[in-house]
Amino acid sequence: MSLDLSTGEPSSSSTIHSSSTIKSGNHVLLRLPNGDVRGVKADKDSTITVGRLGSFYANELIGQPFGFTHEIVDKKLKVVPPRTLQEVEDTDATNELINDGEFVQPLTIDEITALKQSGVHASDIIKKQIEMHANYALKTEYSKEKYKKRKEAKYSKTFTTIEPTLFNVCDYWFNKDQSRIRDVRADTLSQILNLANIRPGGRYIAVDEASGLIVSGILSRMGGEGRLITICDTDSPPAYPVMVQMNFEKTMVNTVLASLNWATAEEEYKPIVPPSDLPEDEIRSERQKSRLKKRKGLTDALTNTREELFAGDFDALIVATEYDAMSVLDKLVPYLAGSASIVVQSQYGQILNDLQNQLRNIPGYLCPSVTEGWLRRYQVLPGRTHPTMMTSGSGGFILHAIKVYVHS
Amino acid sequence: MWSTERTISDGDVVIVWLTRDMIQPLQIQAAKDFNSRFGNYRQSDFIGIPYGSKVGAKNGKGFVHLLRPTPELWTMALPHRTQILYIADISFITSYLNIHKGSTVIEAGTGSASFSHSVIRTIGSSGHLWSYEFHEARAEKAREEFTRHGFLDIVTLTHRNVCKDGFTVTDTADSLFLDIPAPWDAIAHAKTALRKDCITRICCFSPCMEQVLRTVNALKRIGLHGDNHVPVPLKIGEISERLKKAEARREVKRLRQIAQNQAKGKRKREDGEDGEGEAEGKRVKTEEEKGDEVVEMMQETIDDGEETQVDEPETEKMSVSKVMSEVRGHTSYLTFASLMPAHPSMAPQLDDFELYFT
Repeated sequence: MSLDLSTGEPSSSSTIHSSSTIKSGNHVLLRLPNGDVRGVKADKDSTITVGRLGSFYANELIGQPFGFTHEIVDKKLKVVPPRTLQEVEDTDATNELINDGEFVQPLTIDEITALKQSGVHASDIIKKQIEMHANYALKTEYSKEKYKKRKEAKYSKTFTTIEPTLFNVCDYWFNKDQSRIRDVRADTLSQILNLANIRPGGRYIAVDEASGLIVSGILSRMGGEGRLITICDTDSPPAYPVMVQMNFEKTMVNTVLASLNWATAEEEYKPIVPPSDLPEDEIRSERQKSRLKKRKGLTDALTNTREELFAGDFDALIVATEYDAMSVLDKLVPYLAGSASIVVQSQYGQILNDLQNQLRNIPGYLCPSVTEGWLRRYQVLPGRTHPTMMTSGSGGFILHAIKVYVHS
Repeated sequence: MWSTERTISDGDVVIVWLTRDMIQPLQIQAAKDFNSRFGNYRQSDFIGIPYGSKVGAKNGKGFVHLLRPTPELWTMALPHRTQILYIADISFITSYLNIHKGSTVIEAGTGSASFSHSVIRTIGSSGHLWSYEFHEARAEKAREEFTRHGFLDIVTLTHRNVCKDGFTVTDTADSLFLDIPAPWDAIAHAKTALRKDCITRICCFSPCMEQVLRTVNALKRIGLHGDNHVPVPLKIGEISERLKKAEARREVKRLRQIAQNQAKGKRKREDGEDGEGEAEGKRVKTEEEKGDEVVEMMQETIDDGEETQVDEPETEKMSVSKVMSEVRGHTSYLTFASLMPAHPSMAPQLDDFELYFT
């Protein structure tokens, strides 16, 4: 079932951001009932499989706005209301008489499987479990809610699509494998973007070894306007896997983003490029002609990007690298304009402390300071408001300084 | 004007950086002077030089740095009319509410316009900020600033009490930020102002937990599910370098002393008579014993000759850092909620503006 909803896009007609409805080819993040988030690709006419939940036709998802909860019914999708927040009344019950034991929940795994196979709806399975549960009545209302929620997570065939905002995508990566994004938690990423004054139309240089999270953030805030040159340590164009979930508009990315490596970013270096100009009579085929044309395009792009970098006057430099940060700054800060922001990220405080130490003695860096963000989540439920029991230990550290001209 | 040019012009707003704790805005007026504790300057001397320049005072009594205004510098430099939002909160809210180029944002109240300037920078000229302030004088001050900085096409400031009279727009905003004492009173109006055709987001900023609980109840009544975060703001690391110079100097002196005494003692024993030498010999012995380790250590140097020169031991340097003794421990709780658009496939009794929990 495809939908014809208004797309809900911002007032400007062209945007680098994903639209608010799912398009064919989009990568979609799905939140499962147990809280896990899974990434899937919504290709037209394909079938999407989501682990325990089963499979459904991708065309059912295409055209849907992000953010709704869907139930899988015979490989089709039905929009359902998300689980509502049940008002739970206060209770006198305690766990005084509750014993854990083998006979507490008497439905055997065979019985449950049989119920599942006979097509009994998840909510009925759960109801049955509750009926048979020896201690259920003794539980507190809160505990009952928790039990129900846990069982729903297990048997329900629903998922919720997650809008690919920068915050949500960063959160997804942070929970999936934070080491791949150098422990950059969403609050840290936000601070980096603000400290570097990232805005539409700005011109920035970045070194991103955080799987493209920083680049995604910068591109997102630039909104398709301005210029971002990244320096990487690979021969071929850098892989920035985080960009995949952002579902950026490709043509806009290509206009804004260009990359060099540490060799081509060096002014004295002469890149070794295959020849792309041959005299007319030597060209043997159309295919060769187009190949040469393509090569020339790449060579020209490389030359232009280099010239652009060397001309300098960029608005900010953002660095997230394993390499020695001071050597990176020595290389790239000369290409910044006066009053530009310099932001360096690390998972380790010592590294930035040492860097700050060095920068304090160099007049061209004004007020280098190291900061660390803290973030505490709260659960807010009636009668049960408190900070979450488990929380993120670290979101990394940031060093910020302003480039100044020393000769007055 | 917040200029994007390379050099400073007459009429530009610049940020004058004196020290980390003394940062102030200045609108350049060629005919005037700028006097500070770091010297006196003719503002005409500021014109034509690049942003980021260090400028020495006319009377040679110091220098300042002239910086380009950014929302972050503005937050540190602006004249406070109210308690303001700082970078940690501003950046987190911006990200969570998905504010970006082209976004339409509502904020109440404007206050000292710290958050406002950051939002204006992030949304750019294709976005819009609807800002509301219930205090007339503060609204006027903010409007003056927006004008002076060249932002009037991006922000509309209204003097209004949004709790009583609601907002001035309908079905318009992508996100809404409330930094007011009683956000629950504005929440019902908030629903009207937000777009209904896509996911929209609300953030309420409140210092007290009691306010949070009331806010969450109000959000639930209009069909929203809240999410709570408290970003505890930035810890600033202070680096101190501890050089053990004084100790090292003392050590050098001591070693030199011992080495000298060693040499003296040796010579005396060679020449001296028993009787006379005894007492001194004893003294020397004692020093020798005391200095045993030292002498052993210094063996090489002494054997080289009569030279009592002593190599300065390597000064140990250790770089350490610690958090400032007093930090901003709490600014406010941030309560977030998302509003989902209605889905046409849902049961027909739900009208267009029925909203769901997320």
